[in-house]
Amino acid sequence: MNIRKIVSFTDDTHAEGGRPVTPPARTAVVLAVLENPWAGQGFVTDLAPGIEEFASPLGELLAPRVAEALGRPIEAYGKAAVVGLSGEVEHGSALIHTLKFGDHFRKAAEATTLLPAVEKRACAGTVFDIPLKHVTDATIRSHHQSIEVRVADAPGPDEIVIGLAAAAQGRPQARLAPLSSER
Amino acid sequence: MSAARKVLTTTETLLRERGRPVEPPVHRASAAAVIRNPWAGSGHVDDLSATAAQVAPGLARELADRLAASLGGTAQIAAFGKAAIVGLGGEIEHGAALIHTPYFGNVLRELVGGSSIIVFADERGPAGTTLAVPVWHKTAAATRSHYQSVPVRVPDAPRDDEIVVIAAAATGPRPHPRIGDRTTDPAVRLADLETR
Repeated sequence: MNIRKIVSFTDDTHAEGGRPVTPPARTAVVLAVLENPWAGQGFVTDLAPGIEEFASPLGELLAPRVAEALGRPIEAYGKAAVVGLSGEVEHGSALIHTLKFGDHFRKAAEATTLLPAVEKRACAGTVFDIPLKHVTDATIRSHHQSIEVRVADAPGPDEIVIGLAAAAQGRPQARLAPLSSER
Repeated sequence: MSAARKVLTTTETLLRERGRPVEPPVHRASAAAVIRNPWAGSGHVDDLSATAAQVAPGLARELADRLAASLGGTAQIAAFGKAAIVGLGGEIEHGAALIHTPYFGNVLRELVGGSSIIVFADERGPAGTTLAVPVWHKTAAATRSHYQSVPVRVPDAPRDDEIVVIAAAATGPRPHPRIGDRTTDPAVRLADLETR
């Protein structure tokens, strides 16, 4: 696995809507910029061997890093794959949409729900939003949120950016009625 | 509590460049605090010094602490830089007042263990402005291998009445630096170049 760099972001929000957020709301993202394992091979019908080789090591690399960057129990989580212009979205999906990848994060977060995801193909420097949902109950509205990130020089045409995102809480000043109130 | 609405930190670990390993890997970090422009709504203010002296030291401390935490301590920091992005309702002078005085620069320099003048960038722009924050060596500014920039962007800041105050650092040089230094440069004079 040829990883060019690992990038992390943390956001501590101390105020929202003019009111203090106590304790500050923290979100974190860790991204790996790697060579597309299928680059230069034309259309590859069977992606399974590549998934077998790379998906689990990627999850294993990223999960502890995002947990460490957050530094608190993970309440909401999400994932991302942004494929460079010469690849297929299917290549990114292959790396993140298997239990081999996701279970590392699920275990680190003591989570039970599916990981929401963003997948897209784009040029380097693209802005993308990673959706997050609650780690044990995806219907908890207070925890629906997105984190916007960008890596200036990635993904290159033959690269993929794979990422995990975590939040230590729901939205700052969340105050929507729960889903159950509408049923 | 922090004076900032939010604080963003970024780190980058450079492992490979054009397929070649970067050994040891270079870590780069930025810390960006989003604060309300202390002069917002005051019209033209002649004397910015009192407010700058009050606001800047705390910002420098908070940003230096975050850089050190991100990079494994101040001893790991080899290069540093600073920047301000001023929201559209403010003046570049407001950002300058916060980063270009001893109340910011000396505090940051001392906390990071540097002695160089601190290289900088500033810009006025909308929320989501990307700024390449330059860094250079913290004790030997002319060290060419360490000239590099750290891109910083806060999606929802600065609002018109806000300022993003930034400090950035790197643990080492650019990947595979190979453009020499002052000690290896030939003497270059304009007269020698006229035939080129």
